[in-house]
Amino acid sequence: MSKVLCSVATRGRYFTTLPLVLNAIINQSKPVDKLVIFDDNDEPQDMRKEMIYQYFFQMLQHKGIEWEWLYAEKKGQHHIHQAANNMGYEWVWRCDDDAIPEPNVLKTLYSHIGDDIGAVGGSVLTPPYTPDTRAVTGLIDYIDSEPNIQWGVIYEEKQVEHLHCTFLYRAGTCDYNLGLSRVAHREETLFTYSLHQKGYKILVVPEAITWHMKNPQGGIRSETRREMYEHDEQIFRNILGHRDRTIVVLNCGLGDHIVFSRILPSIPNAEVYSCYPEVVPGKPIAQAIQLYGDLDRWNVYKKMDQWKWKDSLEAAYRKMYL
Amino acid sequence: MIIIAPYAQKLRTGKLNPKNYPYWEELISKIDEPIIQVGVEGETQLVPDFRKNLPIAELRKLIQECRTWIGVDSFFQHLAWDEGKKGIVLWGPSDPLIFGHPENINLLKDRSCLVDNQFIWWEATEHRNDRFVKPKEILEHLKE
Repeated sequence: MSKVLCSVATRGRYFTTLPLVLNAIINQSKPVDKLVIFDDNDEPQDMRKEMIYQYFFQMLQHKGIEWEWLYAEKKGQHHIHQAANNMGYEWVWRCDDDAIPEPNVLKTLYSHIGDDIGAVGGSVLTPPYTPDTRAVTGLIDYIDSEPNIQWGVIYEEKQVEHLHCTFLYRAGTCDYNLGLSRVAHREETLFTYSLHQKGYKILVVPEAITWHMKNPQGGIRSETRREMYEHDEQIFRNILGHRDRTIVVLNCGLGDHIVFSRILPSIPNAEVYSCYPEVVPGKPIAQAIQLYGDLDRWNVYKKMDQWKWKDSLEAAYRKMYL
Repeated sequence: MIIIAPYAQKLRTGKLNPKNYPYWEELISKIDEPIIQVGVEGETQLVPDFRKNLPIAELRKLIQECRTWIGVDSFFQHLAWDEGKKGIVLWGPSDPLIFGHPENINLLKDRSCLVDNQFIWWEATEHRNDRFVKPKEILEHLKE
């Protein structure tokens, strides 16, 4: 049975919606294997001193659920989710700190996972706003013209290309875009779409309802600086603009370029950024930084470290790009 | 004629790259064959014919003209592999199973000489002479 890590990123909601969320997670009909809370508060507290949290921790212990409370780096929730993504679990169930899942949500989402599945999400309802999303396609091409399919009641399983929030996903396969600003606008769309691009199915499924309380206080995105949203939106648009291409970023040494050059012909429709265009023709690396924000997810050495790689460099490139 | 590519990339800290072979002088003194050294400005000259900063295209041409080559874990071993020219790679702390090519003669003293994390910056690894094979072993393979 695949192990599931549940990750909650929280900020400014110690005594509002976070307790409701934790209670809901603890009481899932399918228990999580581990719960990790990433505390991104400006002034983090030791919640073991709070009675209500003591009860939560006791319940976790009684149920045999491992838990960890980590103080996050205040860099935004994309960094938090990337940390969860790399914690060695096969699946991560990410829950917002103001979205309360009904007791059957994880069990339902989990029942849909398989070798070809990248992520599974259910309805995330924000009363009184519950649009009828039965006609929504969930395709990235229509992201500007239709509401997110998770905002309404989902009546039947549907394959989509991106999700909005609170979903179960295949971990360690794609990276969150760490080039986004602290508000991490569009991070979940970019992440789930990258799983879709990698060839995995993204599903929305019925009978998995999470209640989004949309708490006006706190929240991981409590920053309001417009330029952060604009910055992230631009990265999002740039990535969408190249979505029919395989983006290749060779921010590495000359020898790595030579090895990579062997697999380049096998990569369909490659858009290459290269340090050594005389070996691998491509656009300048500086342009890639400007367009996509963060290049770490194309760092083959970081990938090999993450994968505990023992095979050849060429094989690592194949795993990355093919 | 054989080519030697004796040095891996200079480290930003100025420390000796742990992938650099320590016994070049001894090895060269025992090779009875014309040798061309390739590398970049600032590297120690080991033979009279040292060709610095050659463009990739010229390096490729030179590789085609040599009988064989000896190098360390640097870009040159990849370039020669790309040219289909078999040579000898002298390994120290980096793993030939990851960074090498089976078409070459990969001389590693022992796998216990490899560093645990192969994907860190090499600045963090100390250079150690005892990680490398001695010239005598290389000479035996050079005859092949």
